[in-house]
Amino acid sequence: MNIEYSFIVIDDSELDSFVIQKVIQHTYEAVSIKTFQNGFDAIEMIRNHTGNDRPPAIIFLDLQMPFMHGTKFIEEFEKHPPEIQNKYVIVVLSILSSATYPVDMFRIRNYVSVNSMIEKPLTKEKLTKLLAELKSGV
Amino acid sequence: MKILYVDDEPDNLVGFKASLRLDYQILTAVTIPQAISCLDNHPEIKVVFCDQRMPIKTGVEFFEEIRVSHPLPVRILLTAYTDVEAIIDAINRGNIFRYVKKPWTEADIISAIDEANKFYMANSMLSIKNDELQKAYNELDKFAYSISHDIRGPLSGILGAINVAREIDDVEEMKEMLFLMGKSLNKLDTYILSMHDYYSLQRGELKIKELDFNKIIDDLKPMYTVLSKTNKVAFNISVEQGEIFRSDDVPVKLILNNLLSNAFKYQDKKNKNKSVDVIVKVQNSLATIYVKDTGIGILGTHIGEIFNLFYRANFQEVGSGFGLYNVKSAILKLNGQIEVTSVLHQGTTFRVTIPSV
Repeated sequence: MNIEYSFIVIDDSELDSFVIQKVIQHTYEAVSIKTFQNGFDAIEMIRNHTGNDRPPAIIFLDLQMPFMHGTKFIEEFEKHPPEIQNKYVIVVLSILSSATYPVDMFRIRNYVSVNSMIEKPLTKEKLTKLLAELKSGV
Repeated sequence: MKILYVDDEPDNLVGFKASLRLDYQILTAVTIPQAISCLDNHPEIKVVFCDQRMPIKTGVEFFEEIRVSHPLPVRILLTAYTDVEAIIDAINRGNIFRYVKKPWTEADIISAIDEANKFYMANSMLSIKNDELQKAYNELDKFAYSISHDIRGPLSGILGAINVAREIDDVEEMKEMLFLMGKSLNKLDTYILSMHDYYSLQRGELKIKELDFNKIIDDLKPMYTVLSKTNKVAFNISVEQGEIFRSDDVPVKLILNNLLSNAFKYQDKKNKNKSVDVIVKVQNSLATIYVKDTGIGILGTHIGEIFNLFYRANFQEVGSGFGLYNVKSAILKLNGQIEVTSVLHQGTTFRVTIPSV
């Protein structure tokens, strides 16, 4: 299947990053995936990337990363002007879930730039469900 | 043991001091302001005796005041009057420990002081235990948070990988994933081992014996020699010990192991002349250990935090956030000290001093 999104993975764990890439590759063909081990490099890329490209990129963002926590990344991201922010869709992908960590998750939900939250590990089912929701504009 | 006696009649003060000065250090005050400044200047006072009938303020009122401002000393009221109201007040408002009737006998006072001292000690122990408990609770909170990341994290990664494995046909791809899965499990294992170190450092007792640093370093050497060869890092050792040194070898090895493994782990991959130096000097009953590396260094703004539990000043996922915290706990346990100097992209030097017991 072909889709109109590209992907950015921000995760400090190599294994998690690998698994996310494989799930995406096994679900969609010929899709662009960029990976970052930390939020700093990703912010740097977003700042320097001013091209007016379509399709928008889905950012799979891990939360518990040393040095720059996922929430810090979101705060840095939200400092960018809307025309840059509009090029990305942030999806928090973490081992924390609303059921086990309601307070943390509530805080995350309050960031306007966060589109949705998925509990790790990412699977084909979770990914296709997310894409369907994005398509229908939920 | 310091005792304060407050009475507006100088004769009473003299009598009190005369009979007790051999066993205790007696401080006296004739007015309440004088008594308060005495408490300010001698925070180690354990027991305060006060006469009920003082000008301006009563003994009870004085106790009511210092109960808040100086809560530690144990309060004992002296009075010639046995009026019930005063006694009730003394207990309820002054929160006194004892009530001694005037004229007192030396035996009354000594027994009151002994009991007060026991009470004071029990209270101080309680407050020390309370602080320890608070610290333990804070660490428990950090643990609960870390467990979600450091234990569930790798497990969820492995679970995700197993799901993906069903769809992987390419052998090379599978090998790559197995390698990453192994790495993840090793990290989990290291985490659990460090947690065990953490526990034994917090709860274990010291076993002091004579230590030979040449032997300790020789035991560690083979492991780091392998790392030195595979990662092309020069490993230089220098040990000078001309005297007997007594300490516990378990925390000493833990310190060396953590500092050395960090020194190898945080090397700068781009650097062509990588090295790790360990220098041990035992002199005048003091062991000084240097562990120097030519690694990535630590940013000045993070250097104050590197000894905190679960702190990681690095992007990579290699650290558990236990290592330097355990080093610090081990050094505290051995009564030693640690200093760190670091220059970004040039390297880090840890200097540890441990006194011989």
